[in-house]
Amino acid sequence: MPSSLAPFLFAIVAMVASAAIRPAVAEDHPGAAIYREHCLRCHGDHGVGTPSAPAPLVGDRSVGQLARYVADTMPEDDPSAVTGEAAAAVAEWIHGRFYSSLARDRHRPARVELARLTVGQHHNAIADLVGGFLGPQPPVSPERGLRGEYFQGRNFDPARRVFERLDPTIGFDFGVEGPDPERFEPGRFAIRWQGSIVPVESGVHEFIVRTEQAVRLLVNHPDWDGPPLIDAWVKSGHDTEYRGTIHLLAGRPYPLRLEFSKASQGVDNPVHEKPRRASIELLWRQPHGVVERVPSRNLIPKHSPATLVVTTPFPPDDRSIGYERGSTVSKEWLEAVEAAAVESAAAIRERAGQLAGVKPDAPDRAERLQAFAATFAERAFCRPLDAQVQTLVAHPFVAAPDVDAALERSLLLILSSPRFLFREPPLPADPSRASWDTAARLSFGIWDSIPDEALRAAAARGALETPEQVEAEVRRMSADRRAIAKLQAFLLTWLRVDRPAEIAKDPSRHPGFDAATVSDLRTSLRLLLDDVVRPAAGPADYRRLFTADEVPINGRLAPLYGVELPPRAEFIPVRLDEGKRAGVLTHPYLLSVLAYPGESSPIHRGVFLTRGILGNVLKPPAEAVAPLAPDLHPGLSARQRVTLQTSPAACQGCHAVINPLGFALEGFDAVGRWRGDGSETDGSYLPREGPEVHFEGADGLAAYLVASADAEEAFLQSLFHALVKQPIRAWGPEALPRLRRSFAAKGFDIREAVVDIMKVAAFPPVPSPSSPEPTDDHSP
Amino acid sequence: MITRRELLRKLGVGAAVAPFLGNLPSFANAPAARQRLVIVFSPDGTVRENFWPASAGSFTAPAGDGQEAVELRPILAPLAPFKDRLLTLKGVGNKIRGDGDGHMRGIGCLLTGVELFPGNIQGGSDTPAGWSSGLSIDQEIAGFLQARPETATRFGSLEFGVLVPDRADTWTRMVYAGPNKPVAPIDDPYQMFSRLYGSVKHRESLRSVLDELHEDLARVTATLPAADRRLLEEHADLVRGFERDLAAQREVAKHDVPVLEPGILEANDRMPTISRMQIDLLVAALAADFTRVVTLQYTNSVGQPHMKWLGVDEGQHDLSHEPNSNVDAQEKLTRINTWYAGEVAHLAARLAATPEPGGDGSMLDHTTILWTNELGEGNSHTREDIPWVMIGGGLGFRTGRAVEFPAVPHNRLLLSLAHAFGHTGLDRFGNPDFCGDGPLGLG
Repeated sequence: MPSSLAPFLFAIVAMVASAAIRPAVAEDHPGAAIYREHCLRCHGDHGVGTPSAPAPLVGDRSVGQLARYVADTMPEDDPSAVTGEAAAAVAEWIHGRFYSSLARDRHRPARVELARLTVGQHHNAIADLVGGFLGPQPPVSPERGLRGEYFQGRNFDPARRVFERLDPTIGFDFGVEGPDPERFEPGRFAIRWQGSIVPVESGVHEFIVRTEQAVRLLVNHPDWDGPPLIDAWVKSGHDTEYRGTIHLLAGRPYPLRLEFSKASQGVDNPVHEKPRRASIELLWRQPHGVVERVPSRNLIPKHSPATLVVTTPFPPDDRSIGYERGSTVSKEWLEAVEAAAVESAAAIRERAGQLAGVKPDAPDRAERLQAFAATFAERAFCRPLDAQVQTLVAHPFVAAPDVDAALERSLLLILSSPRFLFREPPLPADPSRASWDTAARLSFGIWDSIPDEALRAAAARGALETPEQVEAEVRRMSADRRAIAKLQAFLLTWLRVDRPAEIAKDPSRHPGFDAATVSDLRTSLRLLLDDVVRPAAGPADYRRLFTADEVPINGRLAPLYGVELPPRAEFIPVRLDEGKRAGVLTHPYLLSVLAYPGESSPIHRGVFLTRGILGNVLKPPAEAVAPLAPDLHPGLSARQRVTLQTSPAACQGCHAVINPLGFALEGFDAVGRWRGDGSETDGSYLPREGPEVHFEGADGLAAYLVASADAEEAFLQSLFHALVKQPIRAWGPEALPRLRRSFAAKGFDIREAVVDIMKVAAFPPVPSPSSPEPTDDHSP
Repeated sequence: MITRRELLRKLGVGAAVAPFLGNLPSFANAPAARQRLVIVFSPDGTVRENFWPASAGSFTAPAGDGQEAVELRPILAPLAPFKDRLLTLKGVGNKIRGDGDGHMRGIGCLLTGVELFPGNIQGGSDTPAGWSSGLSIDQEIAGFLQARPETATRFGSLEFGVLVPDRADTWTRMVYAGPNKPVAPIDDPYQMFSRLYGSVKHRESLRSVLDELHEDLARVTATLPAADRRLLEEHADLVRGFERDLAAQREVAKHDVPVLEPGILEANDRMPTISRMQIDLLVAALAADFTRVVTLQYTNSVGQPHMKWLGVDEGQHDLSHEPNSNVDAQEKLTRINTWYAGEVAHLAARLAATPEPGGDGSMLDHTTILWTNELGEGNSHTREDIPWVMIGGGLGFRTGRAVEFPAVPHNRLLLSLAHAFGHTGLDRFGNPDFCGDGPLGLG
């Protein structure tokens, strides 16, 4: 290990160790006696829990927040028993002994654990393992649309090509005259559109082509081989709409080709040709979306190699702690892994010649396929193979009569191996592996996938050992579509809307709000986030997430939100409601998700702000409560109903925090329209440090959030967990504060935060070989 | 066109789970009284002179009334060993008119008995057409069998091909699952193998690597800190459970899996090899009762194989357009059609040599092979006197004879096939105008 890094690591290890020795609060602290008298019987010794309150007494409240909570609600049978100074004392003692993350670190240093690949990582890794043998993806560029080549005659004879142009979307009605009677016979012309499609959601996409003429659509076809996704080259009967479905992974380009012919097929005999109407439209339905014309923003006029997308259904990952992680294995997961291995191995075997660059009758086919398997294993395992693993991968080839079958077996072995399926924790130093481990941490961190060629080369040179070297790689990798897609997905996760929501609104209260609105609003939110993360110029300023006052609106959304646009207008940023909007908080998608069908919901909005944006822990309510029906209290506003319903002391422990946050967004209705009235929107929040803050309306709340330490901490911690999928506490209690300081110093640039996080995550604390094994016994 | 994926979707099975599903033999089926139909297609008409027996009558020993046995003409000579189980039908024609040229209607209406939809596929003559407007008789029968538990099989029907061109149009599709629903034959034996035995092979492949996997797991586990070993140990337990499941499935799935010669490329010159591979798979699929209805389509309507292995360099379709006065062409076409007869005879011999699983006699006793063509004769494109040849006892027809009908529509023959399976409720098939007098009496 180079000397520049060693002190840094040592500092972290030393900090964790010293913290473990020195208790934060003394045993004779005045809070200890209060705890024994009032709290111990339910919460148990050191807050471990008892049958009457089984959950461990841990959380993220500050001492001040905790003191107020205790004063207001504890002990449950007599909340007035511990108040004022007593509440403050017991809160300080609880906080320092076991409640806070620092206290927990003291007892149980978090560690980087062995984890299996998440489902997304597994899919990406397989796609990139195969893709790595198929050539580079087209670089990110602003060009959109498909390249259209227009031909005379019924087929695609290069000699008869009339022109080529960029078509932003595919939706043409050529009438009976054809595209240009001067240059094309009206009855006989052909068009071929090519390029790539870049989906933004992962899952099953349905493509639809509408035409009266011959058409073929190929999506993600290796070398345009095999049956098209849609084959209507034979026009038969009166069908004019054709559909096909395909699995796609978000943020990757897939080759697309659409072939259209206004002419009879079969024997070339123009005698029977009649001029007839010729039109064509290319549409799709994204997962959970609506049927719509494929928008220009998802099309690029560049070819890309095909991608292997596993279609095996997987059980969902554990998300219980706010981010997807591979902390458990199950029978369902193993069966999915094996079915996916079979699916992938069979697909690779079918194209082995192309991938391995060897002809079917090549005399050295066996050697070449075996070498291919070894390279495949090296990439899957993210490191060079040692002799033992080389033998393992080569084993199926030994005396195999059918080398293609041997390849398939070798691939099954690789894709079933723990070396591929699990991400190892940092192990006691093995200098020969250090750069390779770092490469894998970077690629899984930034892409959720395996290292690419450049990263492997850097690892092989040993050029990933200093923070500067890592930084250079991270900056290179961040320009990749997969990095952009992962950051976009993180922002949706941060906003708790990573999965498309089913939103239904009361049609009598909110006419015109339908499935297309939901789909468009989600797109609008994505475009807003995209504009923050990838602005035309300048830094990816985190604060703009709360202050941007423009909302992307298209022709379909326009009437609902009081904007005048042509019905088919594409999305453009619109300054809604004279600047009443405050970034993502007031985005109509989020406000519609956090609302009832007819009414707004200050509680949903408040919980989202408390947990999601400000990073506080909230327990679920003691019992499920139905909201008060508006028609039973016709004179009350939503705010008044919520205040009435949550007034009992048992509710106030949480709702004293939730409600005043949610109220700040009450200026917007259940579909996120400005009510035109900013009254009843005053709110407040007690931060983990510092005095209570008061604000008025969404813009007031936003003005607080841009400078809120709580929000910033929650954002950076979520970003760290989304990227690294290991607890940030494993890097020691100072990791988060350091990231925050750096964030502020770099102008709150989100992409710089990614660089900072990866520089930290690339070098996890390594347990020393001599240190005792951590045990499962966490009791103090 | 029904792709495998669509098929799986229809069955309600995700394509991905399929590797581990549905490869078990159908135990529920009563072994007795199985009936099977294998329809074999070869293209471009026959050479009437060298195909049709001189007259109606018996192929076998002279009957008591002193009649001479009817001789087999050269094209049918390979079927001589099965004379007593042979039935030829003359005078049965495809009467369907409407859109599409003779070849298109020849193949597209051959098993459907109904008109083609108007469309954009232009033939050498007539108006352009699309796909058939109805389903084909094999699919009708398969649907009938699948609807009853005692005759339902894993696949219902299988569509084999030999060198079918890689393009979907009216000339390359014979089987239809419904109007506008052509079914693509599988002409790649490896693909068919994978369809039939894919999961068995995948399970075997997986099983074969599990020992190494366990060793690898143990080695990786040993390098980990104790706190992390638990997850991998749990994983290893799951792998062992998975292995037991695979072994259990293997016990119930051990029937004969044919061994294919690896690496045969789909190319004109490999047609004889591919034909035999497909026949091997076909017989094995029938023996395992994966299906009772099979089609085997050699090339396509307007098929153009160059049978160089017979010393014929020209394409079959080009030859078929030569006038009957071209003696050389007639001789070559006779060789070509005799070759097809040889493949049919090989199929019959394979079935005759295989004892009926769980039943009496041979599989040929329970199978009827129906060999047909889209045309009666290539140069005239006539669809009268289509060369229908049947071999075997599956449908209970009276065999060992040449039968002649007075120019009847082939819809009636299609009805006979369904009725022979007990599907007697079917009183019309395809265009009802051609079903007038019901099924042809062949019993």
